[in-house]
Amino acid sequence: MGLVRKRSDSEEIHNHERNQDRDFDGLVHQLASSDPEIRTWAARDLAEFKDSAKPLSRQLENETNPNVREAILTSLAVVGGDEAVQALIRCLRSDDAALRNGAIEAMENLPDSVAPVMSKLLTDPDSDVRIFAIDILESLRHPDVEKWLINVLETENHVNVCAGAINLLGEIGSDRALDALEKVKDKFSNVNYIEFAVDVAVKRIKGT
Amino acid sequence: MSDIVITGEDFLKFREFFYRKTGILFSESKRYFVDKRLSERITASGHTDFRGYFNFMRFQASGEELQRLTNIMTVNETYFFREEYQFQSLVESMLPEITARKKEKKTIKIWSIPSSSGEEPYSIALYLLEYWKGIEQWDVELYASDIDTEMIRKAKKGVYSKRSVQHLPKNILHKYFSKLSDGTFGISEEIIRSVEFTRVNLNDPASTRPYRNFDIIFCRNLLIYFDDISRRRSAEVFYGALNPGGYICLGHSESMSRISSLFKIRKFPKSIVYQKPEVGYAK
Amino acid sequence: MPNNKRILIIDDAATVRMYHRSILETSGYQVDEAVNGLEAMEKILGNRPYDLYLVDINMPKLDGYGFLKELRTQNISQAPAIMISTEAQEKDRISAFESGANFYMVKPIDPDILTAYCSILLDYGDEK
Repeated sequence: MGLVRKRSDSEEIHNHERNQDRDFDGLVHQLASSDPEIRTWAARDLAEFKDSAKPLSRQLENETNPNVREAILTSLAVVGGDEAVQALIRCLRSDDAALRNGAIEAMENLPDSVAPVMSKLLTDPDSDVRIFAIDILESLRHPDVEKWLINVLETENHVNVCAGAINLLGEIGSDRALDALEKVKDKFSNVNYIEFAVDVAVKRIKGT
Repeated sequence: MSDIVITGEDFLKFREFFYRKTGILFSESKRYFVDKRLSERITASGHTDFRGYFNFMRFQASGEELQRLTNIMTVNETYFFREEYQFQSLVESMLPEITARKKEKKTIKIWSIPSSSGEEPYSIALYLLEYWKGIEQWDVELYASDIDTEMIRKAKKGVYSKRSVQHLPKNILHKYFSKLSDGTFGISEEIIRSVEFTRVNLNDPASTRPYRNFDIIFCRNLLIYFDDISRRRSAEVFYGALNPGGYICLGHSESMSRISSLFKIRKFPKSIVYQKPEVGYAK
Repeated sequence: MPNNKRILIIDDAATVRMYHRSILETSGYQVDEAVNGLEAMEKILGNRPYDLYLVDINMPKLDGYGFLKELRTQNISQAPAIMISTEAQEKDRISAFESGANFYMVKPIDPDILTAYCSILLDYGDEK
């Protein structure tokens, strides 16, 4: 009894089922296992293979276990690429709020793959998708964020899409955004919140 | 020092952003502290004003500057019995629950990561020996890992400054440490031998895969310095490494609410910890 | 009219939290904020349940539905909750009520309507 030290090079630590079939085909096979724990480990380990976006996306469409889903989303955010982004965009249209938000978080981490489709997302016919696109911009490490947001204010007619853009411009906007911010007030002159949000944003940008 | 001006609005902008990312909310009374550190980083990164720096930091592809800034905005000092309330929670709340759950198997596994130079895993060892009666009936395996082999080497050497041991009760210091001729303190061989040190990179699945069946993980003041994806991957590693019902202790300024929803929040009298659900989802 | 009712605003957008806070504080409520469902849960468990929750739907880590479901099924708090959405679709309303919301509002929120419903829900809670 007491503190006992077990050496980490002992059998127990290095030989067990988690070491089986960790090659690509083995992992893809395990991604379809009926045991959610095996699926989770397969999804995690597939992050190391650059071709894994396809099997991961395919599994994501049918996956109902939230833990496996989280592992798949994390791995897709590591792997990136066009295939991953297309799968994540499909999730934005899901009725499942947890899946939508998981996809938004994953996309925030893929600036190189998301940037080419951003203009398309910001003009999607579904206003929810446009709102999510702005949520993605909040954390997208990309130099064009301000430009995209100003363009939203100039062209968008949905009040909640504009509201999202105003909020974010208050944090990252520069003098370049001031004109568009003042004009969007007129577009929604009867909406109390827009006036409030524009005033906050302008004050933050001017720094006074 | 330069004459960089951080306006009240700049402070609010930064405060909101930092809060959303880390869960740390600076009050108005921290204004001086925050401004001073922001100015330091603005100058050091070659910028001349807040806005240029703020957007650079937010949109830098590598995210390195945010990590640097987080580093200087938080005090990251390691010493024996740091955040002691969590060790109290360990012996008063977590271990009683674990021992009640484990009827048969009399082994408890604890993982301390990052081990840094050893203060944390050794504090756990000392706490168990001195403040937990159960140590007479239970085996405890204590693992401590770090990505930095130099830290592991230091930890295994077990020599500490006066400052590092100053929060230890006198009796514990006398019992387990010997004062060395240069004024430092060497921890006893018995304690060094009770901890298994290993090198682990939380972002490398091959390196973390063997870690499993743990009951408690201490991961304090590490994830806050990671980017979003590395944090999530680490949380998934911990989830996989824990037994159902096992606990994770984060640092006092860290919150799982910015990292992952895999764990349940448990409020104990002395601390909030995170718990792997006892029963997983069926399918 | 100052009163001792505590309201938790849960929304990831800072400006939205500021706006709702300013409206509710003007009406004399004590207001606290959280950026997602998990932080809300930490605040509730770390302190004590609130008298009313203002819950956004789309948030990272734990969304509004997930938060309310957990709040209700784990019996952490049965206090009234207003779900706040960007869309007024029937299916969203139904999901909100199914997950434990007592009322549903669509952004952007009119200040008078918000205070009116907070007051009604809080009074109703007192009578129960």
